[in-house]
Amino acid sequence: MSKKERRVFSTLLLLVGIFGVTANASAMHIMEGYLPPTYCVAWGVLCIPFLVLGFRTLNKQVKESRKSMTMIAMAGAFIFVISSLKIPSVTGSCSHMTGTGLGAILFGPAAVSVLGIIVLLFQAILLAHGGLSSLGANTFSMAIAGPIVSWLIYKGLKKAGVNKKVTIFLAAAIGDLFTYCVTSVQLAMAYPSAQGGFAASLAKFLGIFATTQIPLAIIEGILTVIVIIALESFAQRELKLIHFAD
Amino acid sequence: MSGIQHSGHEHTHSHDHNHHHSQDHTHHHHRIGHSHDTGNSSIDYYAVYSGIRHWDPRFKVGFSVLLLLFTLIGNHPVVSVIAAVTAAILTVGFGKLHPHQYISVLTIPLAFIIVGSLAVGIEFAREPLGDWNLFLHFGYMFVTKESLMKMLALMIKVFGAVSAMFIMTLSTPSFELFSVIKRMHCPTMLVELMHMIYRFIFILMNVQRNMRISAESRMGFCDFKTSLYTFGQIASNLFIVSLKKANAFYDAMEARCYDGEFLFLEEETKVSRKLVIAAAVYFTLLLAVTILVRVKF
Repeated sequence: MSKKERRVFSTLLLLVGIFGVTANASAMHIMEGYLPPTYCVAWGVLCIPFLVLGFRTLNKQVKESRKSMTMIAMAGAFIFVISSLKIPSVTGSCSHMTGTGLGAILFGPAAVSVLGIIVLLFQAILLAHGGLSSLGANTFSMAIAGPIVSWLIYKGLKKAGVNKKVTIFLAAAIGDLFTYCVTSVQLAMAYPSAQGGFAASLAKFLGIFATTQIPLAIIEGILTVIVIIALESFAQRELKLIHFAD
Repeated sequence: MSGIQHSGHEHTHSHDHNHHHSQDHTHHHHRIGHSHDTGNSSIDYYAVYSGIRHWDPRFKVGFSVLLLLFTLIGNHPVVSVIAAVTAAILTVGFGKLHPHQYISVLTIPLAFIIVGSLAVGIEFAREPLGDWNLFLHFGYMFVTKESLMKMLALMIKVFGAVSAMFIMTLSTPSFELFSVIKRMHCPTMLVELMHMIYRFIFILMNVQRNMRISAESRMGFCDFKTSLYTFGQIASNLFIVSLKKANAFYDAMEARCYDGEFLFLEEETKVSRKLVIAAAVYFTLLLAVTILVRVKF
């Protein structure tokens, strides 16, 4: 990274920092009690196959090399820290980065679903950020749908021979945006507008989110690029353990 | 049993009360929401000192979750208010948490409950609709009496649900919660991952804090341009430095015979019969109230 590039990145990062600090109040993904019980259960059930697959993937990885646990757990902690930096948005949810793009690129989407649900559980019980009842919905949007999109973009563009930094950036940023689209759909399904129904409500939630989420997605993309470059320069050994090939 | 000690860990996962005293008194006098660094550690601090800390964690988790279910399925403001009052009585009355502290904990989600519910109450349309509307250049923003009532009901419900979870959060330290999860036959690998992620969150936060302090002491934030540069530097090094520390943490554990399972010293607690009977009576009454309000109104 040249000095100039670094400066541009820093500007964006600082913006996030400022937002994160001014919006210090702790908030949520979809909040506790926000979704009607049927939706809570339905989203939860939808997550189960992904979680089972993720558990198997992780188990295999850990059996093969126990030490890769540190990298896996660190990616989880990264998701926690990144997705706790939030900007309030005028919805039942709130804008923040997801941090799951990094995990998806490193370990694949299945493993991230498990990391994601653990982090969401922590945030729900320790910070009242998200909630136990909305755990399924939040897991689906942030730890399953978003990472799958990130991973597909990453694999696809890599095969197409696109520049690596661009690939990682797009994968993380679009994954982040997709997460927020899924959350909007979830909210609109639970709270369709009285006049315009589902579509009007979806437009409302998407619109309100977009103002804060688009800059955040860009910043998340850049942050993910920075972290992966740093890992490739200084943590080759760890990357080999998890078979992160160039 | 308590084979693993994390050096420099704010929350040594053991029941060593003196340890918690000495560490927490120096570091965690701040209230919740004071800064990002101490956010959840203060919640742990309150939990460790809670007056109902000695109640069996399984009981507290069960009670909170059941109360949460009541507010969600009952879906009536009266039930939610009862849940919120119960939470206040248990946390402040029995738990001896200072009312100011409890209120400051509650205000964190409260701000978002209000802002979040607004989105449900307010609608947008191209034509002027509703009981009250405001023209914005792209269309109308409007509310109706029903949407306002819906919004108010939602706020109360979410508040009740959050309060119910705070009974558990403010009286049960995280390591006890993990042990409850473990006793629910959650696979060892997942519980282990939970412990590690929890520990690494604090590594990340501490590394970030140290980097920020050392940058500050070197005038790293003296003007806007320098601040940007410093922030970028911290962001690019944070993950990698934390990972190195995490590896050292892992090596230290392996040197102490870690082989894939954390073992902690746990106090043997029994679910007190009195509490169970009290809870049973409470929930029976709550059920009666729920049915009554659902039928009547």
